[in-house]
Formats: sequence, C-alpha cells, structure tokens
Amino acid sequence: MSPDAGSIPAASTILGSRRTLKAFNERRRYRLIFLPLFFSCLVLILVASRPVIQISTRDYEGYSRVLLTLPSNLSCSLEKSDAFLQVRLRSRTVFELRQEPFESRLVKSFSWVKGSDFFGLIIELRHGGFRYESFRVERRNQLAIDFYETAFEVPPSKEEKAAAEPPRKENIPDVGEARTEGASDRGVSGGTKIRTIVIDPGHGGLEVGAKGKFGSLEKDITLAISLKLQSLIERNLGFQAVLTRDRDIDVSLDNRAGVANNHHAELFVSIHANSSLRRNASGSETYFLSLNATDEEARRLAYLENTTAQLEKPLDNENKDDIMMILWDMAQSAYLKQSQRLAEIIQEELNTLLGTADRGIKQAPFKVLTAVACPAVLVEVAFISNPDEEKKLTTEAFQEMIAQAIFQGIARYVKLIS
Amino acid sequence: MSRKKPMISPVRWTFLVLSLIVLLVLAVVFFKGGRRELIKPSVDVSPVEVSGQEDLPPKNKEIVLFFPAEEDSLLHPEKRRISAGSSVAGEARQAVEELIKGSAQGFLSPLPPETRLREIFITRDGTAYVDFSKEFMEKHPSGSSAELSTIYSVVNTLIYNFKPIRKVFILVEGGEKETLGGHVNLSRAFTQLDSLIAQ
Repeated sequence: MSPDAGSIPAASTILGSRRTLKAFNERRRYRLIFLPLFFSCLVLILVASRPVIQISTRDYEGYSRVLLTLPSNLSCSLEKSDAFLQVRLRSRTVFELRQEPFESRLVKSFSWVKGSDFFGLIIELRHGGFRYESFRVERRNQLAIDFYETAFEVPPSKEEKAAAEPPRKENIPDVGEARTEGASDRGVSGGTKIRTIVIDPGHGGLEVGAKGKFGSLEKDITLAISLKLQSLIERNLGFQAVLTRDRDIDVSLDNRAGVANNHHAELFVSIHANSSLRRNASGSETYFLSLNATDEEARRLAYLENTTAQLEKPLDNENKDDIMMILWDMAQSAYLKQSQRLAEIIQEELNTLLGTADRGIKQAPFKVLTAVACPAVLVEVAFISNPDEEKKLTTEAFQEMIAQAIFQGIARYVKLIS
Repeated sequence: MSRKKPMISPVRWTFLVLSLIVLLVLAVVFFKGGRRELIKPSVDVSPVEVSGQEDLPPKNKEIVLFFPAEEDSLLHPEKRRISAGSSVAGEARQAVEELIKGSAQGFLSPLPPETRLREIFITRDGTAYVDFSKEFMEKHPSGSSAELSTIYSVVNTLIYNFKPIRKVFILVEGGEKETLGGHVNLSRAFTQLDSLIAQ
C-alpha cells in the first residue's frame, strides 16, 4: 500500500506539498470508483438474498411427490407439456430454488424461467407418460404435486435402477418388479402381501459398533446373522430379502431407512448385538421406536394412530398422505402398533429357540428406525459385552439359531397379516 | 511513480480488487452461512432466574441423581446435595457434574469420567441443551443398552429435579450429533423415560 493511502492528513499538510495534494486527488478518484463498486456489491448481496423455494422430492408407493415450500401464500397455476410441468407463480421476483437431494423414478430435475409477470418453476420428468394431482398445505405455504405414471412404454432407465441400490447388483431386476407391482396394486386392492423384507445388519465399515472383551465386533456378528436370515427368508418364505449392506462397508443410518422405503419394504428388521455398562448383562431383547413425545406431541400423534388402520387393515392412501405430510422424517410413527406386534412375535421366537434370558420388548429412540415407512424392529440378539455371550455369538451354530428364530418370527407375522 | 498517465496505481488496483473479493466473500458467508443458525445461549430465559444472591448464605438443596446399577438394567436414585440459589441452569449444571463424578453408593458411572460439561442452557420452551465435550462420545463403549443408560441417566435426572425442564437435547462439542454410538438418536430432544427408573 502506498504510504499516503493509510491515514488522512490534516488539511494544512495537504496544501503544503504538491505531492500530497496529488495523493489527495487520487484518493478522490479512488472514492469515485469505490462507491459504484460498493453499490454493485450491495446489488449482488440483494440478488444473493432473493426469496427461496424449498423443494423436496420423495417416492411413495405408486407415485412421486414434489413438495414446494413457498416464501408466502402465492397463487399459482400448473401447465403440462410433454415431459415438463411448469408451476407458474404470480410474482415478479426471481426465486432461489433450494433442492433437497433426491432419488426419484419419475422426477428428473428442476429449473426455472422468468416471465414478465410470473416466475415459472419447471419440473422435468423422466418421460411424458404421467398425470399429476396437486393440493395446497395452507398453514405452511406448501404446494404438493403428486405424479403418477400412466404410460408403460418407457421403462425406467438403467442408471436409475443402479442408483436406487448400488451395492447389490443381483437385486436390481427385483427392484423393478416391486415397483410395477406396487403401482398396479394400488389401483386394484392394495392387498397386504409381503413382497420385500429389508434386513439391516447393524454398523459396518469404520463404524464398528460395540466391541467384545475377546475383540469381536458387533458389525461382523450382525452381518453374519443377517446373511443367514436372508437365505432363510428367500428359501422358505418366497419373499425378496434385501440387505442394507452385504459386506463390511459404511452405510449411513438414513440410507438404511432409504433402502427399505425405496423397495417399498413391508418389513424392516435391524440386527444388532447389545452392549451394556454392566459386565454381566445378558439376554435378547427386541425394540421398536419410541418417539420421545411430550404431552401435546403425544396428543397429535394419537390422532395419527387413530387414523392409522389396524393390523388387519392396511393404510388407505388418504390417511397415508396425511401422515406423510405431517411426519416427513418420522415415517415410523405411523407404524408403531404393527412394529410392536412384530417385536412381540420375534421376541417370543427368540425366547423359545435361544434359551437366552428374556429381556422382553422395549421402546427406544433408535435413529435407524425413525424414517422407515413400514413395520420396523431392532433386535438385540445377545450381549457382546458379556464374555459368555460373546463367545456364543461368534459360533456358526448360535448365529444360525438366531437367524432361525428371527425368521420364524417374521414368518408368523407374515401369516398373521395375510 | 509515473506522472499523470495511470489513473490509479497498480497498488490501488490490487487493493480495490482485494477489497471487492473480501466483500463478496463476506456476502457469501453471510447469506450461505447464516441459515444453519445455532441455538444461541442468549435465549436462556429460565423463569426462576434470581440475580445477585451474593449476600444470601449459600443454601443446600437435595436432588436425586439416577445411576445405572450392576444388578439390573434400570436407573437407581441416589440423593445428593447441591448448592441452591443460582439459576436453574446453574443447578442443572451441578446435577450433571455430579453424575459425571459418579455414584457414592457403588452404582455404575453412566458417563465416561473424562467427560466435561461444556455448557448447559434452558430455552423458553423448556428444553435443556446439555453440551458435552467430545469424550462423551469417544470414550463411550457404544451398544444399545449402554447408550440408553447414559442418555436417560442425564435426561431423567434433569427432568425429575427441575420443573422448568421438560425436554433434554444433547449436544457434543457445541454441535448436534446423529447418534451417541450408532444407536440412540441425538438429533431430537428426549423426554423422561419412566420405564427405566427402578421401583
């Protein structure tokens, strides 16, 4: 920096020398340039802070939903052309689109256009064979648009299938099957047939879970049991059994729930080995989700439970929509009763088959269960923190027995609801 | 330095460009960074706040701590005296610190002894934010039962003893964590779980 740029000299010294006077003039010029620059920065800042439209996209059985959260209650109109749907908002402002990352079989991407008196949000779909329904959620300035596939001529692209479940190639044809079945089912009867069961071997990769005294890791035991359970289900139940991981890799808890929801799983069973602060804790227990609700939250949830159908009757789509809207990230809360029943049955089988101490069924706020949109339980097969049980857990025979017990529980539950 | 030719010297130019970049960076940081607003301790408005109690003699108050025990997987009460008179957050801090110190009656330690309580504050809606140091997670053995014992010894102790606290949200190193050790969800506030309390 030049020496005269820093401090402001007194007027007398400026007049005193030509050199400083020149510097003073330069400073004025610099101000002349700096001011417009400053204002252009301000304009940039204003542009950067334009109002936001939040976009979240999710697939449900038979349809995909795009949920737009608008900054205010703007009026809008929808216009379909080919594989595009334009949402016209009566507003002169340019909105910033903020998308949650999504994976959808119908919705491809979002973009926007600016008209003289409107802002157009453009939703691009994978093909033109769709119809849509929209409704507003008033309190929250939200607009929900549901897309239904109407044409079958364009099958979902290969990349899409691969993206839905990358780690398990052998399941890909089944994924497609489950989807088309789901779509046709919805129209006909919405029967309670079980098609896919998702098994979740707890932990994996760097996330090792609990450790035993002899060095065995929870992640290895859960995987071994899950693989055995998978083959039992596929051999004897005739259902597809999908694992959230089939080898020693990291899978985030959200993605585990995602596997279940993407496959429209009918059941989700997470396998874990327990660990306690107590040295001699032992036995098996089965958990379903607890919501940690305060009284007023509990009242709101009671409403949901009442609108949720009982075990014999599946959710009809209207109620399902309600629940999805209210509990975007707490999908499991709509299935607590079914989950409890599943937990009871699995626990009974564990008690009869394993001879481990019965610790009963319990409720706990386990992260992996929160977003699963089907009956879901977490089985703590035995205590890895207990040296005796740890030894047993590493044996093939005991793992086989556990898998058999859980399998029988699942089979009984399936029979019960079909 | 040349005479009249350059309107602005190269030094000035770089200065201008630099200040422009700084402004832009500031603008971006301001607008992108501002959305994920952390919960500020300044919302700490506990209704029972009393100020300037220096002149009062320090009074004792009896509270009940909940510890896991060796004989079952429940939480067992243990009475403890703390100094009363400070804010609810101050008393809650003492309660959690007593939990970290461990039991005097031979119960198990619910929290790793290396854990430090960084901060505790209570928001208007009755949520106590309890901010632990990283040892809370790092030294924890993980496992469903162990995590539940740890979490609910803190949660039940706070909600049982302090009326204004209705929920407990656990932070680690000032931030929200997904789970404690891969099981129990830390991204939501906890309510009391009575089924874990002995008797």
